[in-house]
Amino acid sequence: MRRSVFITGLAAALLLGMGVFGTGRRGSVTSAQEKSATTEVKIDNFSFGPVTLTAPVGTTVTWTNRDDIPHTVVSTDDPKTFKSKVLDTDEKFSFTFNKAGTYPYFCSIHPKMTGKVIVQ
Amino acid sequence: MHPFDIKTVLFAKHAQHVVLIHFPIALFIIGVLFDFLAQWRKQSLLAAAAYYNLLVAAIATIPVVATGILAWQWELEGQKLKGILLMHLVMGCASSALICVVWFIHRRSRRNQEEVLPGYRLPIEAVAVVIVALTGHLGGFLSGVNGPG
Repeated sequence: MRRSVFITGLAAALLLGMGVFGTGRRGSVTSAQEKSATTEVKIDNFSFGPVTLTAPVGTTVTWTNRDDIPHTVVSTDDPKTFKSKVLDTDEKFSFTFNKAGTYPYFCSIHPKMTGKVIVQ
Repeated sequence: MHPFDIKTVLFAKHAQHVVLIHFPIALFIIGVLFDFLAQWRKQSLLAAAAYYNLLVAAIATIPVVATGILAWQWELEGQKLKGILLMHLVMGCASSALICVVWFIHRRSRRNQEEVLPGYRLPIEAVAVVIVALTGHLGGFLSGVNGPG
């Protein structure tokens, strides 16, 4: 009797453990997928980094202004595919690219600052 | 760049505002310098030089203010400004107003054929030079000239 209770308990513990690890693995896969769908571009020292970003369709790109002065993120096409408001220090702007193509952009306050998003 | 797109031609790289701004700054500061020298040396020739520098400085503020405001309206679509941009706008308007006030004080004295210019103009001119310098510093910071860029 005691032996069967012990075996049942061990089996339950094993099942529970497998369940926990299984869930954990699923969670890590989900977060990896989320990571690949969101990409960050840093604005610092009057430049975008990385200057050219390649990402799959559906990616949300977030620009963060790490500079001491305001910047904008504006696509060069007409009409503008995306256009941020003036971003002060630590402010962010996000845009989701749902179509493949090349999207050059610039800062409208400092037009020498340029970058490009290539969506494949 | 499309050659017939007036906005693009006028505001490409903000060249107009950034270039034009140097004229009123230089003319005004030199005008004030001449005025202080005229006051000190009691020379009418220096006072005349000061007047004409201030006159051209006041005229030069018009395209500077216009290009600055149009860049704000067109490039930033007139969005609500804050921080350095707002400070630059407010101080720029104050600088332009002070330059015109200083010129007007000189013009009124010349028109009334007063032999001595009013003494209160000197502190106004000194304050105006400081505000113009601060506005220019902010503008340089915004354009990257005074910054790391």
